[in-house]
Amino acid sequence: MALESQTDVSTLTATQQSVRAQRHVLLTLSRVWAWVFLIALIVFFSLSVSITSEGDVNFLTLRNSQNILIAITPVLLMGLGQTFVIIAGGIDLSVGWVMGLSSVISALLARDLVARGIDPTPAIFLAFAGGIAASGMVGLINGLIIARLKVPPFIVTLGVSFIVRGVALLFSGGQTVAGLPTQLRDFGNESLLYWVGGGANQLHFLRRPEVTGEQLRALDRILGWPVVITAIVVAIAIFLLHKTQFGRHTYAIGGNKEAALRAGVPVDRHTILLYVMSAVTAGIAGLLHSARFSGGSPTAGDPLLLGSIAAVVIGGVSLFGGVGQISGTVIGALIIAVLQTGLVMLGVEAFWQFIVVGSVVILAVLIDQSRDLIIGRAES
Amino acid sequence: MEPVLSLRNILKRFGGLTAVKHVNLDIFPGEVVGLVGDNGAGKSTLIKCVSGVYHPDEGEIQFMGQTMAFSKPIDARRVGIETIYQDLALAPNLNISANIFMGREAKRRYFGGLIKTLDEEKMLSESRRVIDSLDIRLPNFGAQIDKLSGGQRQAVAIARAVYWNARLMIMDEPTNNLGVPEQRKVLDLIRKLRESGVPVILISHTLPDVFAVTDRIVVMHRGHKVAEKQTAQTDSQTVVEYMVGARSDVRAD
Amino acid sequence: MSKRFLLLTLVGLLVLSIAPMLAVAQDDDTITIGFLPGVVDPFYQVMEIGVRQAVEDSALPVELVVQIPENFNPSVQTPILDALVARGDLDYLIIAATDKEQLIAPLQAAHDAGIEIISVDTFIGDGDYVNGPVTFPLSYIGSDNVEGGRIAAEALAENVGGTGKVYIQNVTPGISTTDQRAQGFREGIAEFPDMEVVSEDFNNDDENTSVQQTSATLERESDLVGIFGTNVFSANGAGIAVQNAGLSDAVDVIAFDATTFAVEQLRAGVVSLVIAQKPFDMGYLAVQFAIAHNQGVSSLPKRVPTGYAVIDIENVDDPEVARFIYQVE
Repeated sequence: MALESQTDVSTLTATQQSVRAQRHVLLTLSRVWAWVFLIALIVFFSLSVSITSEGDVNFLTLRNSQNILIAITPVLLMGLGQTFVIIAGGIDLSVGWVMGLSSVISALLARDLVARGIDPTPAIFLAFAGGIAASGMVGLINGLIIARLKVPPFIVTLGVSFIVRGVALLFSGGQTVAGLPTQLRDFGNESLLYWVGGGANQLHFLRRPEVTGEQLRALDRILGWPVVITAIVVAIAIFLLHKTQFGRHTYAIGGNKEAALRAGVPVDRHTILLYVMSAVTAGIAGLLHSARFSGGSPTAGDPLLLGSIAAVVIGGVSLFGGVGQISGTVIGALIIAVLQTGLVMLGVEAFWQFIVVGSVVILAVLIDQSRDLIIGRAES
Repeated sequence: MEPVLSLRNILKRFGGLTAVKHVNLDIFPGEVVGLVGDNGAGKSTLIKCVSGVYHPDEGEIQFMGQTMAFSKPIDARRVGIETIYQDLALAPNLNISANIFMGREAKRRYFGGLIKTLDEEKMLSESRRVIDSLDIRLPNFGAQIDKLSGGQRQAVAIARAVYWNARLMIMDEPTNNLGVPEQRKVLDLIRKLRESGVPVILISHTLPDVFAVTDRIVVMHRGHKVAEKQTAQTDSQTVVEYMVGARSDVRAD
Repeated sequence: MSKRFLLLTLVGLLVLSIAPMLAVAQDDDTITIGFLPGVVDPFYQVMEIGVRQAVEDSALPVELVVQIPENFNPSVQTPILDALVARGDLDYLIIAATDKEQLIAPLQAAHDAGIEIISVDTFIGDGDYVNGPVTFPLSYIGSDNVEGGRIAAEALAENVGGTGKVYIQNVTPGISTTDQRAQGFREGIAEFPDMEVVSEDFNNDDENTSVQQTSATLERESDLVGIFGTNVFSANGAGIAVQNAGLSDAVDVIAFDATTFAVEQLRAGVVSLVIAQKPFDMGYLAVQFAIAHNQGVSSLPKRVPTGYAVIDIENVDDPEVARFIYQVE
């Protein structure tokens, strides 16, 4: 009566059991391969930077770790929403210019609200709300066209990205929006913790210590506000994707859209929400850009689009949908950033940097694919 | 006994083509009815009218004594008409319990329902319960569907329908693409469903399967219901004659 | 999908074919000048202001036609150029060609149609309209980017006392203007025996990448004294990396192009020097050249370098210098 009887462990021979154990090790290794890869990169750069540099240059420093963390924030934010979209079998090519639009809108609002006599802090909050609302609108348009009119997401988001680009350029007049309140600059460049090294060795919380000269150079900002915001968004994304019905539906749609539809998953509504989410995380990246660089730039996100998709793919999200995790995207973004920073610190010539980064991206995805083979073999 | 499903004078056209012509059919509790016919005989169209994919142009569908007008497949599922398609309607990247609960996930509520998380434990234990009740054995509940065999997937789909209180099960070629031992297991499952009182409409080209599990056989030819026989009182030869149009219990147009 | 696409294409073609008929014929005394810059940005906007000012200042009737491409890209600019030629009423075209090779043929066709070409900011061929491969344009009016890089090097050297290591933050390899600025900067630094360019990185016009690369370089080269950003984004990112490393008083950052944003970052101490081109002068001069040619002047120079201004925190409020800021009101 049973469909398939489970293999009885007691009847396994010793060799079968040892093969099983080997497979288990392989399986475990392949599941954490991205971490292994990242750690290997860090070890490689730590050694090679110390060996090749004259004097006391180290890769593994507090400052460098913070530089890398802040460098991944825009790429990661764009990649977070994208992770959901790609898992559900879509793609969002508009996030680059959405980031730019959000940067421009928030900068314009912050500048003009302060100019009209509103206090900088509430003005900045309103400006951020405006940037996110504008981004969300773009996501809504993407989602509506994809879900209701059944146009392929690749085409829709490509078309919308052109429109958003035009809108962002129109709003900004094609130039960086300047004249922002200094509080915004502080938010973008200050941090949760401060460490004064160089002998003083003090940790400060929230308030930047007043230091000058040599001490100023020994001042490290730990967990800059953009990093804190991004970490919060990452935590929310992990919760949503891995713990809630929303996340489960995302996987279901990516796995078999027709099945999800028949099972009563509100596929259209869900698809719309996914594109809104994707635009909103890109929009947050735009706000942080305005803050860090104290200017609203329409072109802020365009150069980052491909990097963000690369991070998602390196992290193990399948472009065919249905597979992937948030932690993968985080590691993917880290791998690219560690690589870029490490190569500059090694003094590798710029043209070679392109070649190395491209090769590692392909290598990472190749390893990920062979991982699927290993899992497939080990589980069968 | 009241029929579970009662089709009255169903007619369905596609442009100039009439795919189903004035078909009447009753399905009673606890019976397995085979629906057979050549390709294009209209059996799939008829079944899609029942499962809410198509709307009949004429006629009436009564389910549990009530007249139904389905606009979407989900409407039919809500009243308990479950259709198990050949492509199975499972998400290959999700595990067994996630598939059984797809679209109707069990949730835990926090902060007065403000935050809801998936209740994986409940979904797992309930899935185990329903799978056990059907005497199905599956390797590992954490396994993704794409790691299961065709018969196991068929079983998961059936378990899902049973769990959600299917009152009528429609199975479209459930034994296609399966090995012989697995085919037999699927037929066992159909018998199991009959024992639990759930009627089954079985669409199949495989006449031995149809004779093995059905109580009644309905034959369609060119949109007409041309025969309705008790399985025990007919044989393959006769059914084939009806299928190819050599015999008919209705007058042709 | 495909039907809809086809329909849109048909409508587009229809509109394009009717468009030239809609152009109004001009009366013969008016000088009609087309202005086709590279892209929507403040640099070209200031140039346009120069163009319009010259038209306003002109004693003769001048009709101005302005078209601005959305992208700095020959495949975007060429159709607009063709449409301008198709109007049939242009006497002169002031253009910032977006590619020095790909625009030669379309501009030759325009010239053959009786339109005189004046290059502003960028050139076609090798920019030498006397002895080079392309000689049909009237003149090339624009900054010499190599010279601009050299001026940046000299200004930086002066600031740091002619000694120390410097670093280049460049945009993307293959852009002639920024490549020439970097080249000129290297040439300029080579004049100072105690100075050295340690490396050059490309940030893909992304401030975030510029911060990342500059931070890493600062870690490696603790005795860096200066950074040349070949455009405003490159310099802004570099400046923020310097500021966050607490090195603002030790490392000078030079920005190329005096956008209002660059000047704001100068005031905020993020960058130390801003190299300004003179787009207003380019636009103004180009219109004056067209009018002069129309009046029969035949000895116009084939090349006019418009020069640079160096802006720092000391002179930024001096009106003589401030007028070089690319300010669009």
